[in-house]
Amino acid sequence: MRSEPPASRGRPRAIESRRAITLILIGAFALSLLGVDWSEGVFRPRGLIAIVETLGALFRPDLSPELLRKAAAAAWQTLVYAVAGLTVALLIGVPLGVIASGSIARSRLGAVTQIAAARAVLAFFRAIHELVWALLFVAAIGLSPMAAVLALGIPYGGILGRIYSELLQDVPQAPLDALRRSGASEWRVFLFGRLPMALPDMVSYTFYRLECGIRSAAVLGWVGLGGLGFQVQIALEDLAYSRVWTFLWVLVGMVVLVDLWSSQVRRRLAP
Amino acid sequence: MSATPTAAQTPESRPLRLTFVSGSVLAMFVLIICSWTYIAFGQSWPSHGFFSGETASRAWSFLGDLAGKGREGTPAYLDGAAWAEAGRLALATLAMSVLAAGIAAVGALLTFMFAARNVMSGELAPYRSPVWVAWLGIVRLFYALSRSVPELIWAMLLVFIFSPGILPGALALAIHNFGILGKLSAEVVEGLDTRPARALRTSGAGWFQVIAYAILPAALPRFITYLFYRWEVIIRTTLVVGLVAAGGLGMEFRLALSHFHYTTVTLLLIWYLLLVLGVDIVSAAMRRLAR
Repeated sequence: MRSEPPASRGRPRAIESRRAITLILIGAFALSLLGVDWSEGVFRPRGLIAIVETLGALFRPDLSPELLRKAAAAAWQTLVYAVAGLTVALLIGVPLGVIASGSIARSRLGAVTQIAAARAVLAFFRAIHELVWALLFVAAIGLSPMAAVLALGIPYGGILGRIYSELLQDVPQAPLDALRRSGASEWRVFLFGRLPMALPDMVSYTFYRLECGIRSAAVLGWVGLGGLGFQVQIALEDLAYSRVWTFLWVLVGMVVLVDLWSSQVRRRLAP
Repeated sequence: MSATPTAAQTPESRPLRLTFVSGSVLAMFVLIICSWTYIAFGQSWPSHGFFSGETASRAWSFLGDLAGKGREGTPAYLDGAAWAEAGRLALATLAMSVLAAGIAAVGALLTFMFAARNVMSGELAPYRSPVWVAWLGIVRLFYALSRSVPELIWAMLLVFIFSPGILPGALALAIHNFGILGKLSAEVVEGLDTRPARALRTSGAGWFQVIAYAILPAALPRFITYLFYRWEVIIRTTLVVGLVAAGGLGMEFRLALSHFHYTTVTLLLIWYLLLVLGVDIVSAAMRRLAR
């Protein structure tokens, strides 16, 4: 990640736009402070005690075997939701991403309409946060694992589709032109040109999304769908901070492990 | 991150063998099969199986509820007063997102230099000292801790401490994004061209001057870009932290769902989508300005 060449800096216009940005940022931040209701006191009456209790439990989580078994089960359920959700995301993201890249259209007009339509659908899918999808699905079909899987899969499908379409568009054009000139149809160009060139980056990004999926799946538990988030919520309601941190440490551990796996995969796939 | 053509020129010519990557993809497939098997057979859920006709019909009738089918009175999404009321909440939600992005940005700006290896212990450090390396480790640990706990869980902890409103939600969002922004910005500094900094150093500038006149100006445009990208994520998440932190659209959304006021749910969703769309547009414009 090199910075831009120094030649582009120091122009008067660039400086002006930077001043504008600085002013806008400071102004917006100051305005947002007005949105806080400062009149009734920021802290809860026993808030500071709660801070001490919460942080005090940070390094002495409850490590009884029974609770650890529960945490392991919750972690497995979280992993299941993440992986199953990613499957749905792939089922949405791959076809829509291919269409949104406009690379399989036969005509110019077809490409423009396909790109616009697929992009609009993808934008809608990812505009809504996975937990909001989860609330909606729980209201619609009840507390079933399907609600969790769909809630995770739909917004992730929207993100995967968008990134896939960009990766498919950004491949070097020369090999594609060579294929076209030797008489390949757009489908063949896609299958034997675009896809193989974009695939390493697509796999790499998918593994990155698995990482995020674990975190999101843990949170999904909050609406009552089980997993680590659900256990954290129950422990919080019991004010059992040491149990809260047991589950949170398990979550952090799982996230770190999947992080390591995915970053190893991505390092090997990097060009 | 574009794939080089050489990487995929002749996939057939290589013998198929188990590399780390192909093994990982294989492991992923095994995980997918295990997960779906577990979901389908491993649990006893009180409700119906999935893909059943009943699920589909319930989903369909829910859509009808959202549209206000079979209810007397005007649906909330056609009611002007309800629009204005939800608009006030949307404004509070927007303030929450800006506040969150602002706090995260200030926190990350103050610390990200200390998390960059080249500034603290590499070629730009004035001297090698274990204290500076320890600083690097501490700041990085804070980043990792703050970003690996999701926003919602931070919000659940913070509502015990702060009175309900947009502040605990904004702080929860800020803590999570502080870790992300800090890590990304430190990586920007580590990837910078260090020649201007070294030129300043050789002409007698001190560590602080090198940071202020060579490193910071080069890293800031990237930082601003990341900040706006994070803002787009933050606005989507405001609704979620609002569910527990009682600020903005989130709380109202949860209440409307649990009271079965489905047309209000529709109205709040419309405002939410408008916010997301608006922030995406503003953020894209600002990123173009910052470039």
